[in-house]
Amino acid sequence: MNVKTIIENAIKEGRRKLLEHEAFEVIRAYGIPAPETGLAKTPEEAAELADKIGYPVVLKIVSPDISHKSDVGGVILNVNSKEEAVEAFNKIQENVKTKAPGARIVGILVQKMAPKGLEVIIGGLRDNIFGPVVMFGIGGIFVEVLRDVSFRIAPLSEEDAIEMMKEIKASKLLEGYRGQPPVDKKSLAKIILGVARLLEANPEIESIDLNPVMAYPDKAIVVDARVILRLK
Amino acid sequence: MVIKVNSQNNLEALFKPKSIAVIGASRHPGKIGYTLLKNIIEYGYKGKIYPINPKADEIMGLKAYKSILDVPDEVDMAIIVVPEQLVLKVAEECGKKGVKVLVVITSGFSEVGNVEAERKLVEIARKYGMRVLGPNIFGIAYTPAKLNATFGPNEVLEGPIAFISQSGALGIALMGWTVMEEIGVSAIVSMGNMADIDVVDVSKYLSEDPNTKVITIYLEGLKPGSGRRFVEEMKKVTLKKPVIVIKAGRSKRGAMAAASHTGSLAGSDQLYSAAFKQAGIIRALTTEEMFDWARAFAAQPIPKGENTIIITNGGGVGVLATDAAEEHGVKLLEPSPELKEKLRKTMPWFGSPKNPVDLTGQAVTENYVEALKVAYESEEVDNIILLYCRTAILDPIELARAIIKVHNMYRNKCKPLVAGFVGGKDTFEAIRLLNREGVPAYPSAERAVISLAKMLEYMRYLKKAKKQ
Repeated sequence: MNVKTIIENAIKEGRRKLLEHEAFEVIRAYGIPAPETGLAKTPEEAAELADKIGYPVVLKIVSPDISHKSDVGGVILNVNSKEEAVEAFNKIQENVKTKAPGARIVGILVQKMAPKGLEVIIGGLRDNIFGPVVMFGIGGIFVEVLRDVSFRIAPLSEEDAIEMMKEIKASKLLEGYRGQPPVDKKSLAKIILGVARLLEANPEIESIDLNPVMAYPDKAIVVDARVILRLK
Repeated sequence: MVIKVNSQNNLEALFKPKSIAVIGASRHPGKIGYTLLKNIIEYGYKGKIYPINPKADEIMGLKAYKSILDVPDEVDMAIIVVPEQLVLKVAEECGKKGVKVLVVITSGFSEVGNVEAERKLVEIARKYGMRVLGPNIFGIAYTPAKLNATFGPNEVLEGPIAFISQSGALGIALMGWTVMEEIGVSAIVSMGNMADIDVVDVSKYLSEDPNTKVITIYLEGLKPGSGRRFVEEMKKVTLKKPVIVIKAGRSKRGAMAAASHTGSLAGSDQLYSAAFKQAGIIRALTTEEMFDWARAFAAQPIPKGENTIIITNGGGVGVLATDAAEEHGVKLLEPSPELKEKLRKTMPWFGSPKNPVDLTGQAVTENYVEALKVAYESEEVDNIILLYCRTAILDPIELARAIIKVHNMYRNKCKPLVAGFVGGKDTFEAIRLLNREGVPAYPSAERAVISLAKMLEYMRYLKKAKKQ
């Protein structure tokens, strides 16, 4: 499905938030690296997908009614075999049934688990005055507590995106900290520019959160994506 | 209905009108229509002035007309001071008369929710090809044309700083403040509701104005959807002239887009900061900062390089300046042995030729003059910060006069010089003297350092922007 169709379908169904596999598909279309995923409807499908994608994988509930997946036991990390995949599928279904009864379940997403890297957040939104704007920050506590983020107005250049990274207070973490090699800023810049283009080309999108994005010395990959639409 | 296309050239009539009508001119002191006309006359405007008032034959010695349509000659600018209910009617008459620009002082439009009248005002202006400044403003002053069409203070000092204000009351207050602080201005423009002419239009005009060296803006906010144009157009302005903005309303935005993480983190102030940065605009947080920096830009050339030297007679201010330099990205140069040797000859034997160059508390005018000459002549030095602490043996006025002389001698070197003079009353007088003669001077070391830091920021921006 292309980006326009995914967005149209969501709007038709009155969904303000794209489902996670839809969000991944949308960002991929703009050259933003997302992990390999597949949507399973049955435990057997989950096992097959897990085998195909390669271990370890993560299983996540996909439901238009659940926005905090972990709170209802809808996420299981570190799944390492076919058997574990079946088990995780059943466990998630059970958790959701008890903790979020009545929630519609579209399926369970099987996602390649990204190895630990430096967690950053990249976001974008449509501002009333400035139009599409993008944001960069270090993930986790830095974003929540310190609000250590930087912004730019779209359109922006790769140089602007690199400057955004240098601007945050914790920018030294990107340069390599305690013997860690520096992360690949060009790949992060590519994601930032992708978010800007995505907002510019799709006026239906209100905001995008890529949180976290795992940054490595040679690449960066989006682990979680949230795309919010504007409903009329 | 024929809609004429507005061109940028129409702003020429806003700054250099050949003739002005004051619609709502009054004979009664205390009325805005009185003060405004009085300011225009007394400030020395050379063009024709036509007071319009249906009940008067003559105001302040000028023949008054019942309507602008009765004026026998062409009118470039019409200043409208009549009550809100009459504005549309007189605007229509101005259009028929062929007026080029309306300066609508009158309030009671979109700022109080009367959006419809404001929309109609713009519609009338477009119909006749007029531009509109305002409504809800205190007017416009452009000193090179001897124009003070405001109801602010009559006295406005001539100089190279343009000041654009979105706030009326604060704008008038700062007009008075510039006089007290001896800050010379080229233009003072009150923006009001920006129904037609906005901050970008005025900035673009002033960027081409040979009488303006630096543009300062008091900004309250941009209109929805106008942010991108602001960034794109101001980028072009800052390539020509430095722009310093003070943006009000730094508090957090409400929960507008709190559905996302990004939304909850995006305070509108951060977006303004980003926009300013992208456009090469320098942001000040206080009015004092804004005029401090504007002074430096107005009087001194843009730096050519990073290497800065501090010359002082006091260790304490030297250290404070060093701290401020590091904090604000001013690079203090490491003098070469040759430069150190030359500097050593300018100071008492116990002085220090390292940077900050310490002439010691024993320093007299001669020491400063020689050290300053060495700094101007050295290829190693790009920028000079000159500091002085009031001492019993060195009179600040005498020192200021000597510095001015050296500064004038070395103008062709194009090296920025800023001064920080710390002391009492006579020191304050020395600061005024320095400022009057083109050496930006401040009552503290830090303010001098930060003013230079902003010039360096602008230099870096220009280098980067011109590369792209």
